[in-house]
Amino acid sequence: MNVREKASGDTLIGKRIPKMDAPQKASGKTRYVHDINLPGQLHAKILRSAHAHAGIRSIDVSQARSLRGVHAVITAQDLPFQRPIGVAKDHLPLKRDRVRSLRDEIAAVAADTEEIAEAALKLIRVDYEPLPVVATAEDALRPGAPALHGEDLVCVNRNGTTEVVHRAAPGNVAMTFDYSQGDIARGETESDAIVEDVFWLHYVTHCCMGVSGVIAEFDSNGNLTLYSNSQVPFLHRREFGELLGMDPGRIRIIQPPIGGGFGSKLDIYPFEPIAIYLAQITQRPVKLVFTREEEFLASPTRQPVLLKMRSGCTKDGILTFRDVETVHDNGAYTSWGATTPFVMMQTISSLYRVPNCNYQTRAIYSNNPYAGSFRGYGNLQATFAVEAHMDRLAESIGMDPLDFRLKNAQDPGEVTPQGMNFRTCGFKDCLRIAAERSDYQRKHRDNVARWRDPDPIKRGVGMASMLHVGGGAKIYQSDGCGTILKLDDFAHVTLITGASEIGQGSETVLAQLVCEELGLPLSSVTVVNNDTDVTPWDVGVHASRTTFIAGNSAIGAARKAKDKILAAAAVKFDGKADEYDLKGGIVVDRRTGNGLIEIDKLIRSLHFSEKAELVMTTFYYEPPSQHQDKKFKGDVSAAYAWATQVVEVEVDTRTGIVRLLKVNAAHDVGRVINRLGIEGQIEGGIVMGQGYALTEDLIVDHAVVRNPNFRDYKLVTAPEIPEMDVSFIETMDGEGPQGAKGVGEAPAICVAAAVANAIYNATGVRITALPFTPERVYRALRGQAKPPVWDVGS
Amino acid sequence: MTRVERYLVPRTIAEAAGGLRDGNVTIFAGGTDLMPQSKSGKAKFGTCLMNIRRIGELRGIKRTASGFSIGALTTITDLRDSPEIKVGFPALWRASDHFASDQIRNAATIGGNLANASPAGDTLVPLLVFDARVVLVSRPNGALQTRTIPMTEFLVGPGKTSRRPDELLTAVEMDAPPPGFTSRFFKFGTRPALDISTISIGLGAVRDGEKLRNVRVAIGAAAPTPIRAPHVEEALEGKVVDGATIAAAVSAADCDIRPISDLRASEWYRHELVHNMLERMLSDVGHG
Ligand SMILES: Cc1cc2nc3c(=O)[nH]c(=O)nc-3n(C[C@H](O)[C@H](O)[C@H](O)COP(=O)(O)OP(=O)(O)OC[C@H]3O[C@@H](n4cnc5c(N)ncnc54)[C@H](O)[C@@H]3O)c2cc1C
Repeated sequence: MNVREKASGDTLIGKRIPKMDAPQKASGKTRYVHDINLPGQLHAKILRSAHAHAGIRSIDVSQARSLRGVHAVITAQDLPFQRPIGVAKDHLPLKRDRVRSLRDEIAAVAADTEEIAEAALKLIRVDYEPLPVVATAEDALRPGAPALHGEDLVCVNRNGTTEVVHRAAPGNVAMTFDYSQGDIARGETESDAIVEDVFWLHYVTHCCMGVSGVIAEFDSNGNLTLYSNSQVPFLHRREFGELLGMDPGRIRIIQPPIGGGFGSKLDIYPFEPIAIYLAQITQRPVKLVFTREEEFLASPTRQPVLLKMRSGCTKDGILTFRDVETVHDNGAYTSWGATTPFVMMQTISSLYRVPNCNYQTRAIYSNNPYAGSFRGYGNLQATFAVEAHMDRLAESIGMDPLDFRLKNAQDPGEVTPQGMNFRTCGFKDCLRIAAERSDYQRKHRDNVARWRDPDPIKRGVGMASMLHVGGGAKIYQSDGCGTILKLDDFAHVTLITGASEIGQGSETVLAQLVCEELGLPLSSVTVVNNDTDVTPWDVGVHASRTTFIAGNSAIGAARKAKDKILAAAAVKFDGKADEYDLKGGIVVDRRTGNGLIEIDKLIRSLHFSEKAELVMTTFYYEPPSQHQDKKFKGDVSAAYAWATQVVEVEVDTRTGIVRLLKVNAAHDVGRVINRLGIEGQIEGGIVMGQGYALTEDLIVDHAVVRNPNFRDYKLVTAPEIPEMDVSFIETMDGEGPQGAKGVGEAPAICVAAAVANAIYNATGVRITALPFTPERVYRALRGQAKPPVWDVGS
Repeated sequence: MTRVERYLVPRTIAEAAGGLRDGNVTIFAGGTDLMPQSKSGKAKFGTCLMNIRRIGELRGIKRTASGFSIGALTTITDLRDSPEIKVGFPALWRASDHFASDQIRNAATIGGNLANASPAGDTLVPLLVFDARVVLVSRPNGALQTRTIPMTEFLVGPGKTSRRPDELLTAVEMDAPPPGFTSRFFKFGTRPALDISTISIGLGAVRDGEKLRNVRVAIGAAAPTPIRAPHVEEALEGKVVDGATIAAAVSAADCDIRPISDLRASEWYRHELVHNMLERMLSDVGHG
């Protein structure tokens, strides 16, 4: 939606604006779901499996039921009409006769206090029949491996009929993806250099500061209210309706401020229906909040991926082909992690021009934790492999890695074989600026020259780039967002948007965009964005879409309001609407710049006139993007975001410890709307990428999470955060709100890939498995590493 | 699950020692080990929980005839803020400086660090370097009895000490080191803050011209308890710290350490770290 240029003094766009919710959060006054307590509320706890894989012979809850203060104990037996959740509908909230991972829910208790609920769990007796554990995708693919979803999942409908809700998955294959463009064989013959590697991308988890939680309450009419941290309230409302056999219209989702999402709240997890069932049975509000350990054990992970890649180029540095196969360890059930190939294949096929490309994925069931969506959505994994090969190919033909990338980088106007149309594309500027500001080329050469130097501390620079959707992603029927906007008698704006705030700063940006149109100060906007009974539909916070989609929607509503005000001005001052403008709360004459009347006064005169009108408008924005076809081709986003990051590291060869010293990031963001907000978003994303690269590692060993705590699961701490130099490339996207593109996921995506290249530049050792913890790096430096192997057939 | 049936808050050592006589008492100091351990099921509370935080006489660093006595309730922050520790026992000061985070240091006590007897307990390594003695008090039949034992006898195994259940750890004592004694402590963790040692090394000696005398070396997280490393000490005692001495000391470490593989590191990597870090520390000593 077209850019409107204004003199810089007059505009809010590009200014540094503190987030509207910052004072509340910083002063500890924000009330998260944890802080909400409803009168009469009960507390729920979940009994999880003691085995990673077992049959359930019997469950005895009698003792738990008779504990004083316990109001309900439920198992699958109490819920004859249970229906499955998740992306493939293979997951019953309460398990019937089989558990497939240690997080599996067997029973749940609602009691007067958490302590009583906890004590009741200990009184539940479960008789298990242990089954062989499928600990890796490799195990799952072995002939004769236990089939984890070997039978159809049959559910009983409320009318007594039965229905197969999930088909048996023989061979443990949960999902497959197959994409191709061009002709790999031809690409191979045209190649002068070919490289091949196997990469292992590990488990990490979101570590939201606010753990998962929900409060479910039924009113006397049977209407359900959920206080939920959902990132996708409107889609979930519908899904809860199906689960419960109730009209979704009678389900209201209220989102208290959410203590971090990062994709983790994009699916429904068992704890949510469980809280609802308990509320239904007890007819009391039921609150269920995870402990931190539970959050580690029973919230989703980033998708772990074993990835084999073969790439080629000519001696002149032109990419010829790329052939990729991955196995995704799906874990016990299917959530969004299995669908990360949608994003991975974009990077593999279209970050650089590559005429011939194959991409295949099998998502394989195991008894491990299951992966959900996580900021970047497969792109960290794909970028890691692609950018390693960009460096390796450049080296094998003796070309500077920046020059090699520039030769293959996309340009504006390109339509890729996958169908993505890069109407704006600042990729080459990103490459050049990040390289220039970091002095990449000189340092890269100098570091290689120091490989044999006796100093045990080595320095390296590494570069990686990324492509990600920046204008929404058309995954569902609609990728739209609705806005309702009203200006009251005092010209105070209430902006009612479908877009959820999960800490990303969307409410501030949306308010800014509206104020920009209406010539009002930010203080005159209240944003309402957290109640499905009030807010219009939105598809959800994901795919870096909120600023772009909800922003365009808010602008649309604001422009309609402005038209109405200007029309009123035209009547009042006997002119034409386009002769007036709104500025600083006043209607001004466009030509003279003279103020004519305060906006609030004009609105009042409209309200209290013969015509008696209010200024209230609505707008629904649907981006002009396309669904992909069955071959995964289509222009899925209305805009695409680009970035290059150059990192500088220090590697201590005596310990293997890698310090991230500096990150030079150049991001094509379309346009900067809130400079403070976008800097925070980029810096936070870089730190998240740093954790993925260097410190974070959810250790899953024989289906057991070994480090479910912050002592052993290592988030980056303040002293480790590198110096950051962020450049914004403003390509003024024609469809973006004020020219902006989405940027939420972008900054986390290329850090690990760049660090891998930097470690190589420092030491001459290429490591293809994450994370780069000291021991892994040290082993690699001493030739003691076991590199990942492709042991999963094809 | 045992239920805590009694909660005791003694005000004096005598009262506490009396309370311990009944057996099955869990002593609670800073709680920074106890709480996570009881939550994860690694430690179980006894039927009686004794909060010793109100025993004023257990806290503080006192001068004694031969050196210093550090009360069991002295927090890691107290150690870090103490000029006496900083000047007289630099290895101990550094261990307290590299310990956890501010919040934990404010709550964690030296007595808890000792009684918890983790192979990675950070104060234990410098305390071994300073030949510290642990003071244990009991009250078997009305009268207080005091037992003072060297660190090496106190530490028995991972999480195990020679403290009897009826004994309260009241203090740790150190003689003032010999004149000219200097000490260092190095901790390897994967990050600069809030980390448990992967390995740690304490080093102390008197410089006699070019030579080292009175060499004491202790190593943490590389054996069932933090240990003194007699073979390394022997390789260094009376020697000039040159390349050959360093190489001999480093390879002698293999006779002293018995690391294991766990979440934090493999046995092999711990070996390598002890070698490389000992080498680095000794090279630093050699250069200055
Ligand atoms: C986040 C975090 C980071 C940590 N980082 C470090 C670190 O960097 N280095 C390190 O060494 N440790 C670390 N620890 C472990 C812990 O903080 C220390 O071991 C601390 O010194 C324990 O002291 P406390 O007073 O909290 O002991 P408590 O938890 O109160 O007690 C520990 C044990 O000692 C017993 N005990 C305590 N006092 C006495 C006494 N006077 N007599 C007899 N028995 C007693 C208790 O019964 C219990 O078994 C960390 C812990 C956490 C949670």
